[in-house]
Amino acid sequence: MIVGEHKPIEEIIELVKDFSNILVVGCQTCVAVSLTGGDRAAISMTEALAHAFKEKTKLHLFESTMLERQCEKDWIKPFFDLPEGVDAILSLACGAGVQTMADIFKGIPVLPGLNTTFLGAQDQAGVFNEKCAGCGDCVLGLTGGVCPIARCAKKLFNGPCGGSTNGKCEISISMGHDVECAWHLIVERLKELDKLDNYEKISEIRNWIPGGAGGPRKLVHKGETPF
Amino acid sequence: MSFFKVNENCNGCLACVKNCPASALNYFDQKDSRKIMHNMSLCARCGHCWRICPQDAIEFKVLLAGKFDLVKTLDLVHCRVCGEPIYTASLGETVSNDIQNSIEPLCPDHKGSEPINVWKKLASKRTSQ
Repeated sequence: MIVGEHKPIEEIIELVKDFSNILVVGCQTCVAVSLTGGDRAAISMTEALAHAFKEKTKLHLFESTMLERQCEKDWIKPFFDLPEGVDAILSLACGAGVQTMADIFKGIPVLPGLNTTFLGAQDQAGVFNEKCAGCGDCVLGLTGGVCPIARCAKKLFNGPCGGSTNGKCEISISMGHDVECAWHLIVERLKELDKLDNYEKISEIRNWIPGGAGGPRKLVHKGETPF
Repeated sequence: MSFFKVNENCNGCLACVKNCPASALNYFDQKDSRKIMHNMSLCARCGHCWRICPQDAIEFKVLLAGKFDLVKTLDLVHCRVCGEPIYTASLGETVSNDIQNSIEPLCPDHKGSEPINVWKKLASKRTSQ
């Protein structure tokens, strides 16, 4: 899922301080599941702003609201009523949601309340780890289900680099927590799958255009008609 | 029917209500009873309630398995040749109006056939009856 985290409240205060009528809008899909952008988070954010601006007499915070998904353009107008007088929207969606809202409400600043961090998995309750880089050319079938792009600090295709110790990446020290060496995991998984010959295959130079190096990517699904 | 099933282990601690990221759970204290409510429309199906419930009271599998509810019943049109159901009478009418022409009730297998073959099949069907 898309994982987001709250921007520091100081940064949000700086973003919204010049506005008087602010609406916080949550997003009920990915970032709700990653516990930062759903309805509950929108209520909490509104309360936090009310507290932060309690001295500001001219501030009006609308009751927070939410959309099922802020990233679907045709959903927004039919299912979202913008209250009269809003002069700034604080969106708790991912970057795709913020931009879609900004595209719809052109005259109103749509400000991000979250930092969209990564595509991740919830490995423990409330603990999210990056697992996918959205590279557009998946190699998980060869690497035992461990992504060398998202999970290797150097994004190596022919790893490991030699910087891992006891299965932990050398960046663990600077990160302040254990980071598993993706290539250690890959080798272990391939052993379990009896597919170590995959490890012997040298990956060739990769085309990064499907990964976004050729500009923003676009996908068009052509639907089937019943007749 | 409710797809959100809470079993007898629930002791009303409200961990689920307080932690639902989509505000899909709520509760009401009325006189001598506490009522816990779930709103399927708001539910993000994230399973956070199930994950954090200290009593293992939420039977999330029921929500994931679910069942189909009947939402509408419509009359069908069948392929004139083989009798396969192809589309609803209502859809046929809509499309006929849109294209201002009648639609031949033929399935994809028989739609591409030469019209004469279709008529032959129809004729052979009629003679065999």
